[in-house]
Amino acid sequence: MDMHMMKASRIATSEHARIAVEKAHQVQPKLNAMVTFCDIEEQLEHLKEIPTDAKFYGVPIVLKDNVSTKGIRTTASSRILDDYVPVYDAEIVTRLRNAGAIIIGKSSMDELGMGGTNLSAATGPVYNPYDLSRISGGSSGGSAVLVASGVVPFAIGTDTGDSVRKPASYNGIIGVKPTYGRISRYGIIPYASSLDHVGYFTRSVRDAALALEVLAGRDDRDMTSSYHEVEAFESLTTGSIQGMKIAVLKNVSEMLIDGELKQQTDDLLDKLRNQGAIVEEVSMKEMLLKAALPVYFIISNCEATANHSNLDGIRFGVQHGDQSYEDIMIQSRSQGFSSLIHKRFVIGSYGLSEENQERLLRKAQKVRRLIVEELQRILSEYDAIVAPASLSGAPKIDDSADQLSLEYLIAENYMGIANFSGYPSMTVPYASVDHLPVGLNITCRAFDEVTMFNLALAIEDITGLRDSIQEVL
Amino acid sequence: MDYETVIGIELHCELKTKTKMFSSSPVSFGARANSCTNEIDLGHPGTLPCVNKKAVELALRACTATHCTIDPLVRFDRKNYYYSDLPKGFQITQQFHPIGKNGYVTIEVDGEEKQIRLNRIHMEEDTAKQFHNYDGTYLDFNRAGIPLIEVVSEADMRNGKEAAAYVEKVRTILYYLGVSDGKMEEGSMRCDVNVSIRPVGSTTFGTKTEIKNLNSISNVQKAIEVEVERQKEVIEQGKEVIQATYRFDEATRKTVMMRKKEGAVDYKFFPEPNIFPIQLDAEWIKKIQKEMPELPQQRRVRYEKEYGLTEYDISVLVANKEVSDFYDAVMKHTKQAKMAANWVITELLSILNKANQSIEDAKIQPQHLACLMDLIASNEISGKQAKVVFAEMMDGKDPKQVIEEKGMKQMSDSSALLKMIQEVLDEQPQSIEDYKNGKDRAIGFLVGQVMKKSKGQANPKMTNELLLQEIQKR
Repeated sequence: MDMHMMKASRIATSEHARIAVEKAHQVQPKLNAMVTFCDIEEQLEHLKEIPTDAKFYGVPIVLKDNVSTKGIRTTASSRILDDYVPVYDAEIVTRLRNAGAIIIGKSSMDELGMGGTNLSAATGPVYNPYDLSRISGGSSGGSAVLVASGVVPFAIGTDTGDSVRKPASYNGIIGVKPTYGRISRYGIIPYASSLDHVGYFTRSVRDAALALEVLAGRDDRDMTSSYHEVEAFESLTTGSIQGMKIAVLKNVSEMLIDGELKQQTDDLLDKLRNQGAIVEEVSMKEMLLKAALPVYFIISNCEATANHSNLDGIRFGVQHGDQSYEDIMIQSRSQGFSSLIHKRFVIGSYGLSEENQERLLRKAQKVRRLIVEELQRILSEYDAIVAPASLSGAPKIDDSADQLSLEYLIAENYMGIANFSGYPSMTVPYASVDHLPVGLNITCRAFDEVTMFNLALAIEDITGLRDSIQEVL
Repeated sequence: MDYETVIGIELHCELKTKTKMFSSSPVSFGARANSCTNEIDLGHPGTLPCVNKKAVELALRACTATHCTIDPLVRFDRKNYYYSDLPKGFQITQQFHPIGKNGYVTIEVDGEEKQIRLNRIHMEEDTAKQFHNYDGTYLDFNRAGIPLIEVVSEADMRNGKEAAAYVEKVRTILYYLGVSDGKMEEGSMRCDVNVSIRPVGSTTFGTKTEIKNLNSISNVQKAIEVEVERQKEVIEQGKEVIQATYRFDEATRKTVMMRKKEGAVDYKFFPEPNIFPIQLDAEWIKKIQKEMPELPQQRRVRYEKEYGLTEYDISVLVANKEVSDFYDAVMKHTKQAKMAANWVITELLSILNKANQSIEDAKIQPQHLACLMDLIASNEISGKQAKVVFAEMMDGKDPKQVIEEKGMKQMSDSSALLKMIQEVLDEQPQSIEDYKNGKDRAIGFLVGQVMKKSKGQANPKMTNELLLQEIQKR
């Protein structure tokens, strides 16, 4: 059941949340997706004050564990925040609650959002419901698998490089990252502020369109949040793509050597043409695409090292050491973060230091601008850019990618360019390789989520992959 | 050898805003520790900064008054370092693009004017306040996030006197503009002084030391003077001045080393990603500049032009904004500019000084003082009576009421006075005789008799005139 079906169903409203909680507990030993289960009874009580036509009325949802929830432990899957209980709600929590959503739990993620596998969570790996020996993808892995396995129809994730869209692809669901500034980041434990986006997972495009109506809109507590009008996304999403100009990102599509995936991709593109879309292959400068991952790495780690300097064990979080404030900071940070995080902080610190900043951070910011201009160039002629979100299904947990291959540099990491530009970008399931789902990524112009949803709905109508659930019981 | 002293000053001034630089929690001096804080001030995960518009407005006033070039594109940067009083692990400041650049203020020392150039004025947030106790360190986050401007001078001052005059000048300007309280003893203005010496004629700078935490303007001067002597001694002994941070110990009148500066700290400044550059509207800037409160210098000119006050009176009034504000309030209700200035300076201030009171605490109403001035001017009461009335006005009383109660009104009705004068003249033929024989003193005696008859209410000036007139007739 997607959100729409749930609200239309004959099951009592309060039962949906109870069923979801029960199912979440059932799948927990297999998926290891939840960090904290929330008490729902009080929330169900509160539902009495919410109009029954509210957009999330009674819908059970999950929040990624970097979303601040007042009175509910929020760890960002890091040891240093193991006992951290926020004193305030993130803006989106208030919006979701006011829309009638029932938060059943907080989901696992890569530590502090830094990763793409969800193997770095303090609570251990999250497993892919399609194959428990494979990764969920990350960093929003917990949220992704809880939607994919049918526990909840909606979950919040965050996306700094592709942390919603990649796991969406690996789990056969919709993953949306709207335009930068559409959704307030107030209360989201950050990774890299200039790249961070709030995103979400659903199992149908119409749910995705509806959800944005609730989440989007100016928040005065986030100066980067936009005053842009919040459109009636659901009613504007008709699935019509007549005359829509679609650019297929050739740099990625030409790497489709796998016959199965290439065939399914070509088939889909043909069907889009049949529905009146103009579909053409377009290339980006390869040099720029190859630079995307290193640029991402520098900018994100530089911002992250500063963003996480507040995690010092003094005012909140797990405290170690007791000699002096320096001792507390050093001990708390040494023991509170995994070695992967330390590595990123060292890189970030290196990139920020006076002698390196011009050569690393500032240069990366300049290349980021060039990449955005290249993207702008394409989107001045096309309404959307599409490409497979990955060349394959989810990798095995013990797989290690060749991080210097062109496939890795480009095809597996190009989606970060939508974080560089802030353009709306989403992944829709469309193919299956060795029984593993693969998604198609769509990126559109800033604040043109309507076009993005229309194309996504057209694809969903073609594939029929709506509300598909991978049961793990 | 003769040395030249070179001084540059950094002033951190808390802005008089209702809320903090990047959060909506209140700014209040003396509130219970950690009662004026929210999740933003405490640096909790997920919080974001939101720029206080009023703080920008106040910074613009400061920049305008100090002739700085204003950068209408407001940008903020992060200054990264770990310290227990810094909740986020970075301070949001304006490293790369300060709101104001290349300004100056004019100081006057020993009758000579001198321009002190300002390198920059930038906005930033304050840190938490630390209290070190025998059982540990206590942190009060009420101060964390309070808006500050940092006013950075060029190394243009050459002695402690100039430095003190500079600090006083900046303090007065900011105070008049309503930008900052400028209370050094309460820490709302903090002064760091960089001092070095060099042989006269040298064009390179000597090694400088920094004196921190100076809590009064007089200590700025004292600290510089002892530090210069210390540096001279070091050099005379053939040693080198070490770059370090000092504090001034009031009790021993010595500068004491706090820590050496070993190489520059890398603060890893980079642009704050959570605040997009803010383009200030040119019209808004103009409006702020047009509606700026009057500066001390403007007030001086106005007092001279409009009221014709003496330079001395002007300096006394302008030196204290509240006193000067009170004088302006008096002048709204009377035209007796010089008399009012006199009364404020001699009577009002001396009573307040004796009572160790400030003018804000005084109960006297400016319109009452204005009324008193008019009563004196129109001869309705004598100067002597006025002082009695004034004493009561200090309790907030209306002068007219006091006069009524005390039956003090001067007899200025000429027919009633005349009648009394005739009576006195009739009673004192000897005095008329004396007067006619050239004894002018007789008039004084006769005036005294009239005053006696009127129980002190006769207007002395009128009595004198009428007496002379009537005595001629006899």
